[in-house]
Amino acid sequence: MRRFSTSTEVDYIVIGSGAAGGIMARQLSMAGFSVVVLEQGSWGKYGREHEYNKDEWLQRNLSDEDRLMSDPSLQRNTWRPNDKVKAVPGSHSYGCVVGGGTVTYGGSSWRHLPYEFREASYDPTIPSGTSMADWPITYEELEPYYTQAEWEMGISGLRVNSPFVAPMTKDYPVPPAPLKSSGALFHTAAKKLGLTVVPGPLAIITQPYKGRAACVNCGICSGYGCQVRARSSTAVTMLPAAEKTGRCEIRVKSYVREISVDNGGRVTGVVYFDAQKREVRQKAKAVVLSANASESARLLLLSKSARFPDGLANSSGMVGRNVMFGNTVNVGALFEHPLNEYKGVISGAGIVDYVPSDTKRGFYGGGRMTARGYLTPFELGLDGLSPDAPRWGAGFKKALREEANHRMTITSFITQLPMDSNRIDLDPDVKDAWGLPAMRITSTAHPDDVKNMEFFRQKSIEVLQAAGATKVWAPPAGEARGGAHNRGTCRMGNDPKTSVVDKFHKAHDVPNLFVVDGSNLVTGGRNHPTMTIQALAFRAAEHIIRDAKNGTHRNA
Amino acid sequence: MNKTKSRRAFLLASATGVNAAWIAGNYPGILAAQNDLQLAAKAGERPRLVFFSDAQAAEIEAVAAQIIPTDESPGAREAHCVYFIDRALAGFAKSSQPVYTQGLLDLQAQAQQLHPASDKFSALTSEQQIQVLMAIEKTLFFRAVRTHTVIGFFSRPVHGGNFEKAGWKLIGYDDSLNHKPPFGYYDAEEVRR
Repeated sequence: MRRFSTSTEVDYIVIGSGAAGGIMARQLSMAGFSVVVLEQGSWGKYGREHEYNKDEWLQRNLSDEDRLMSDPSLQRNTWRPNDKVKAVPGSHSYGCVVGGGTVTYGGSSWRHLPYEFREASYDPTIPSGTSMADWPITYEELEPYYTQAEWEMGISGLRVNSPFVAPMTKDYPVPPAPLKSSGALFHTAAKKLGLTVVPGPLAIITQPYKGRAACVNCGICSGYGCQVRARSSTAVTMLPAAEKTGRCEIRVKSYVREISVDNGGRVTGVVYFDAQKREVRQKAKAVVLSANASESARLLLLSKSARFPDGLANSSGMVGRNVMFGNTVNVGALFEHPLNEYKGVISGAGIVDYVPSDTKRGFYGGGRMTARGYLTPFELGLDGLSPDAPRWGAGFKKALREEANHRMTITSFITQLPMDSNRIDLDPDVKDAWGLPAMRITSTAHPDDVKNMEFFRQKSIEVLQAAGATKVWAPPAGEARGGAHNRGTCRMGNDPKTSVVDKFHKAHDVPNLFVVDGSNLVTGGRNHPTMTIQALAFRAAEHIIRDAKNGTHRNA
Repeated sequence: MNKTKSRRAFLLASATGVNAAWIAGNYPGILAAQNDLQLAAKAGERPRLVFFSDAQAAEIEAVAAQIIPTDESPGAREAHCVYFIDRALAGFAKSSQPVYTQGLLDLQAQAQQLHPASDKFSALTSEQQIQVLMAIEKTLFFRAVRTHTVIGFFSRPVHGGNFEKAGWKLIGYDDSLNHKPPFGYYDAEEVRR
């Protein structure tokens, strides 16, 4: 791998190596630019993926080297429902390894639908008092980059013609994952209720593709690294290609604490802590921030200077605002015959009829129901039985025997209204393990979001009963207070007063700073953000490369 | 242990408390300790205890055997859950040691209070044991033993429990990590249509 000295002014620093950062590193280095990727996590099993463990006990006790997610006791964060109360310790966590969250995610790769880019002006159900806005780009503008992302990354799925699914100009490169029993039961229910079932598009390849092997349906999937490299993470797709150019260096355990600027307001590089917590400065001509919506916002707020006293790129005061973590609703059920949901991918088929919002429901909200049931042996035994099953003794053992493999869960991924008051900022009291102000999360679901959760709870019960469930349980859904689906904190827009970056991801306030990740999402979609983040990254890279070659950044 | 490792352990200790640091420092040792578990299993012997005394192990084994009892199929006892717990307490679950040490004393006191003639939980009849455990099922100790018994029952046999895959057999879990459709009854039926 190419190594750059810290005194060399590289063309780009990319902060973060996940869904977006991995793509930016590959596209920029392949276009001929020198790139240093700063990743706060470790290598994981990068390049030797067969060594990823499938051992639940080790997975719960990972060494520092093998940790794949951030640790809220190190990457400390706090949460509060509103700004009237003091925040309490939070449990927000995200992918933290080379490849970021794409190393461990379930792989759902749904596109935003065309109307999700202009819901603010299109959808009459949107309540007042929220910060819903139209995107500065249309679905049609982004569509070629969805296709590019699907084919470059390797997404499995089935192109369908439905008003509930985004239209595609090209098929998926590989067919969808095999139907699971939960998906078959979706079909049973859908026939009775007149609903539409679609195989879930997944960043998991089902046939050999671009030198990688197909999924073997091992079943120990989400949360674990993929031993056969079937999960299309940026660590097996983008980053090896970036390194191969000889122009890209990935530096792990590099925890960025500041994006530095000169007196003219231009970015000059970054300051980060290395593995030994020594401060290192890396110079660069430009910086691409792809640290995820929560950390990108926090880093901008940490990067205060005389010129930018409220944080970098924050003249609008919008950095950190409109954070969306995404709400999900889980409803469980038992069936007479075995489903063996532990085999295969985590997220199978989807019921998509409730994706659009509907004035008849009396509130704003939509979502996608996904067929699941994945429980590892630990999850089943510790807390996975139906709620009234005994927790120990003969009855516990009987329930283990009877319920194992007969279980299905509907997980609904639903809309969340962006609100100005839901935000990421710096905790005034709590510090992270590096001595920096901890991330503070302020978040409360909008009343319509709460109604939407209840709607999907009821619909899930209906679907499971129509599928012939022998038992259904539906605990009330709780709102998210953190999590890997964070979005919205540096929204893109045409107006510098109400957005942080322009429609090509350039910070309104800083000519050589780009923010490319989930933070740019103006609306959250139906809580499946990764494919849209990746399409945006391919599009951003194309424009950044074009402008750089024309010398536009320097003249701006 | 090289210098980098101990520095990292120190950094972790200052950030997260002793447990994470201890894990970071002792990880290779924990993995190596699994070797003698495997050797014992191959030789058909019961593994050596590393944390519990024989008397403590008998008590914990009796509790675990009430959590997942033996019926026509193996329970926690046959699955060697107590050996998993013993290793865990010397390893990843080191921070639970005081909960067990105190919990064993409380268990004995509870057993004696309900059944003054007996000085050991394991010496009680099954019905008496259930009665004792119902009295303590909300305690930290019981919850720890339940968690570790279940984990031991379902974890890879290399960690000392799930002997001869007893736990996985109970729930019909195929650990081949390589499956082909049809996976279950309903997808097989859907394909037949």
